[in-house]
Amino acid sequence: MVKGNATRANRVSYGEFGLQALEGGWLSAESIEAGRITMSHAIRGEGRVFIRVFPHKSITAIPAETRMGKGKGEPEYWAAVVKSGMILFEVSGLPEAAAREALAKVAYKMPFRCRLVSRLAGTT
Amino acid sequence: MSEPIVLQTEKREGTGSRKAAKLRKAGKVPGVLYGHKETTVSFSVDHDQLVALVKTGARVIDFTYETAAEKAQIMELQYDYLGKDILHVDLKRVSANERITLKVRVDLRGIAPGASKGVLDQPLHTLNVECSAISVPDSIKVNISELQLGQSIYVKDLTLPPGVKVLDDPDAIVVHVTTPDLEPAAGAAAESAEPEVIRKAKAEAEAEEK
Repeated sequence: MVKGNATRANRVSYGEFGLQALEGGWLSAESIEAGRITMSHAIRGEGRVFIRVFPHKSITAIPAETRMGKGKGEPEYWAAVVKSGMILFEVSGLPEAAAREALAKVAYKMPFRCRLVSRLAGTT
Repeated sequence: MSEPIVLQTEKREGTGSRKAAKLRKAGKVPGVLYGHKETTVSFSVDHDQLVALVKTGARVIDFTYETAAEKAQIMELQYDYLGKDILHVDLKRVSANERITLKVRVDLRGIAPGASKGVLDQPLHTLNVECSAISVPDSIKVNISELQLGQSIYVKDLTLPPGVKVLDDPDAIVVHVTTPDLEPAAGAAAESAEPEVIRKAKAEAEAEEK
């Protein structure tokens, strides 16, 4: 579990609607890719998708049935460090109902609780 | 143009994060009023009243404090990390004949015919404008009902309300319809999403150790 709340990347900046993480954690490159594929299928070539996270962190692991020692394990996968409140995906050029439906499908693929957010009214 | 909206406030005793936290727990939002080289006023306002006011899109309000009343511009709203609750509000005194600069939302009107073949992209969601304090537009309305594929609407093309001047680059694109990007193969995208690991071969490393 990643501690703390997002103090940046927690506002919809590029699109009109976004998917906000309500918990912290590591988001694997596979999960990001699964979300991207789901999103592109859901919007069917309409609108534009923005991915706000990138898997910069390498996660190492020691293979099963290995004796202790002999140094650190090899990188197993790559992950993005996500704090509570971070915007993971954004979408623009879609009506609200279509954006809601698409982001709900993406949220299903995410390993944490998410919510849909729109640009804050009156905060321009 | 938005009608003047009155914000009822109360005097705020003391400062600091603990006092502010107590206020927020009681359903109030701490705020501050400054400007015109007059004394800074610390106040608190009912959270629900402030949220309702913000939702109207009002930018210049009639601020009432004890017996005094003056016009004020909402300069900054601090939100919590989820963007749900307002934590603090900054107000700046303005006079009716003063020209102020602020950001105004761009409101797209109509359905672009070109969007059925392409992607409607809006690079500018807000515009920096200069206008009179008493005639702040709620939004800049942009008609996109004749926007075809490959066409753009620039800042210089906008129809502005009287007395409003845009400070952004006139050649900046507000909204355009672009051709959709071709979907890359899923496998290729997955590979590119992961940074490449540069590491020595195990046998090579062992040979080096010896």
